[in-house]
Amino acid sequence: MSLTELMSNAGLSRYAEVALLLFFFAFVIIVWRVFSPSRKQLLERQARLPLDDDHASPSRPSAE
Amino acid sequence: MSDSGSPGAATAGARLDSFSYDDVVVRKFLWATIIWGLVGFLMGLIVAIQMAFPAFNLAPWFAFGRLRPLHTNAVIFAFAGNAIFTGLYYSTQRLLKARMFSDTLSKVHFWGWQAIIVSAALTLPFGFTQAKEYAELEWPIDIAIAIVWVIFAVNVIGTLVRRRERHIYVAIWFYIASIITVAILHIFNNLVIPAGPLKSYSIYAGVQDAFMQWWYGHNAVAFFLTTPFLGLMYYFMPKAAEGPVFSYRLSIVHFWTLVFMYIWAGPHHLHYTALPEWASTLGMLFSVMLWAPSWGGMINGLLTLRGAWHKVIDDPVLKFMVVAITGYGMATFEGPMLSVKSVNALAHYTDWIVAHVHTGALSWNGFLTFGMIYWLAPRLFQAPLFSKKLAEAHFWIASFGIILYVVAIYSAGVTQGLMWRAFDETGRLAYPDFVETVARLVPMYWVRVAGGSLYIVGAILFAYNIFRTWKARPVTYEVPVVKAPPLARVSAPPAHAPAPVPAGAWARFVSLGWHRKWEGLPITFTVLTTVAVVVASLFEIIPTFLIKSNVPTIASVKPLTPLELAGRDLYIREGCFNCHSQMVRPFRYETERYGDYSKPGESVYEHPFLWGSRRIGPDLAREGGKYPDLWHVRHFENPRAISPKSIMPAYRHLLTNEMDFDGIQARVDAMVMLGVPYGEAVTGAPAMARRQAAEVAASIVQGGGESGFESKEIVAMIAYMQRLGRDAQQVVLGTNAAKHVHVDSVAPARAPAAPGGSR
Ligand code: HEC
Repeated sequence: MSLTELMSNAGLSRYAEVALLLFFFAFVIIVWRVFSPSRKQLLERQARLPLDDDHASPSRPSAE
Repeated sequence: MSDSGSPGAATAGARLDSFSYDDVVVRKFLWATIIWGLVGFLMGLIVAIQMAFPAFNLAPWFAFGRLRPLHTNAVIFAFAGNAIFTGLYYSTQRLLKARMFSDTLSKVHFWGWQAIIVSAALTLPFGFTQAKEYAELEWPIDIAIAIVWVIFAVNVIGTLVRRRERHIYVAIWFYIASIITVAILHIFNNLVIPAGPLKSYSIYAGVQDAFMQWWYGHNAVAFFLTTPFLGLMYYFMPKAAEGPVFSYRLSIVHFWTLVFMYIWAGPHHLHYTALPEWASTLGMLFSVMLWAPSWGGMINGLLTLRGAWHKVIDDPVLKFMVVAITGYGMATFEGPMLSVKSVNALAHYTDWIVAHVHTGALSWNGFLTFGMIYWLAPRLFQAPLFSKKLAEAHFWIASFGIILYVVAIYSAGVTQGLMWRAFDETGRLAYPDFVETVARLVPMYWVRVAGGSLYIVGAILFAYNIFRTWKARPVTYEVPVVKAPPLARVSAPPAHAPAPVPAGAWARFVSLGWHRKWEGLPITFTVLTTVAVVVASLFEIIPTFLIKSNVPTIASVKPLTPLELAGRDLYIREGCFNCHSQMVRPFRYETERYGDYSKPGESVYEHPFLWGSRRIGPDLAREGGKYPDLWHVRHFENPRAISPKSIMPAYRHLLTNEMDFDGIQARVDAMVMLGVPYGEAVTGAPAMARRQAAEVAASIVQGGGESGFESKEIVAMIAYMQRLGRDAQQVVLGTNAAKHVHVDSVAPARAPAAPGGSR
């Protein structure tokens, strides 16, 4: 109950907007990192990971 | 075969581990997907027929209100769930170059999940439900779900820790985020106080319960039907197209945007309800922002086919995937649009939402699953696909089915939405009789039956094709031994690492390569994702719970009497909330039809809330006092005797079932534990209920009906019906109550005291 009163009187109407901004900035940082040129090579290698495991299955039947 | 036991084979200097993948569990999940898929689609067909042809509500347990949740649970958790596990177990092992952490956990996960599905099928038709969409299952089953899910999570995270591939492909990120988020959603939305072995009340009430439910409901769509399937797309699409994803960077951005944004979007399910304005605006804002990453993801998926479009022509796998991804794009285009308040005002409570869901479900989830399994089956069963022609036929038949379904149901939704809001020249409702707006839809419901049937025909061809493929399997499956070096403790410096140590603390900090480790450390990653999800949820949820002014109290709102509470439980048992809303929105066309709009303070004792999400029948929030008791008896006995075009099931069993008066006390007690001020009823609930039941029975006799209903369930149901909206009618609109409505033009200056004229 006291917590409820505390929160009610804390003037949190801007609360959600602040959270929105925080999330937005976190997101901008991630995008900036992803697109930094130094990561290009690494990401290209990672992109091929699903295709790497093919050697692991010697029997390669096809859908045809 | 276990990788932990097998000695690392030394080849040419480098130490290599030998191990194999566990495909046994993948094959099991694959069969479960196919079988539950057929069951779930069939349930859909049954409820579709019931809407077009109400006599098909054959028994209390075979009625729309009870089977509709079975359909949704079957397709979401049984079909889509097992499809996710199939693809996840297959791809995770291969992407991480490691067998699953524990074969035992895999088995427990598989059988535990199937047991949960069976228990859903054994409880929902018999009326055991929590009445929250996609969270209907009662508390013992919820506990089982939590346990099985944790087992699954341990198995996956354990595999991550034991992996032999340092980098974690983006598909796995999607899996982890889904696993974590679903756990959080499930636990917090299902917090209940038990009132019996298969009966409980949500610990939240009214607005708060609605908020939790749609925080859950929306994110269930996001983290059960979207992110895991995106993980599957990012793995199986490159596999089928035999080339890497179009832009890996875009896929990472796609991931983080979804994690950061989806969780905020839930309140868009509650526009113009008694939810605080700021919350639904925030929900709308985030939903609109979601448009960008979703389309980025779709384009990324489709462009993976760059230079390989010709393959689509004769590869059914790619065909299914292309339509699936296109469906994802359409559904995620429409979703943000529907969350815009003015569009939502028209679409909400109508079939438009049903059409939206099925665009996503039938194409995105369904077709991606079909495509994935057509790709997997020959590899898992080590035999060529039985018939490519049959797969092609499946594709075309199912695609045509989807088109029939969505065209019919979109039209139904828009038609009904427009009819509800139509006024004639004299300023009165053009269709005051609700059932007129239902009867208009019946032909479209038949088209849906046709479309759904085609989809099922396709699914049967699919099952047959996979079955025949399996028949041609070798006597014993070959289990390939894979060799890979174990993960080095410390990551080797990348080839292009800058040699000189830069000056300055900041530069040194940056050059530490911490970010690479950060990504490489699955635990840290899991923790961070969890933090993002939890923080967003808290920001979103806490204000509704802790800021008093968000739910202004209304002095005249009192708890239901014991008999009314029992009636409400019958309403829950029969699943009436699947067809009836109890939430009048502040529009003139709603208040004209139903009465004063609903206020947050009205549902402070509503554990769980029963606002509903679809109006197949009229809103019932102001039902109390509208008709005499006898009218309800006749209506429940046979709705079509009163309203010939009604599609409501008959509830004759309410007239004959004995009322369990003594069971009411446990329910009142549970409500008291939740803080509902019950006063006298705390000790004498059954006696109070019997007294009121006698009154209702007497009024039925007075009206000219039969005697003897005082011991039957029908009196509880009628008592509840007659109570609906009565408390609020006594209120003179205070400043508080009107506060949340900012929609100036739509709020009526004065609401009619007794909503009449709907019949
Ligand atoms: C398949 C959907 C469906 C289900 C399930 C359903 N109803 Fe209905 N209901 C309707 C339709 C359609 C109407 C409007 C036509 C009519 O009056 O029968 C209606 C009308 C009503 C009315 C009259 C409303 C008015 O103001 O005219 C009441 C009361 C009612 N239903 C109660 C219930 C209760 C209680 C249950 C659960 C035991 C229930 N309904 C289950 C579809 C449904």
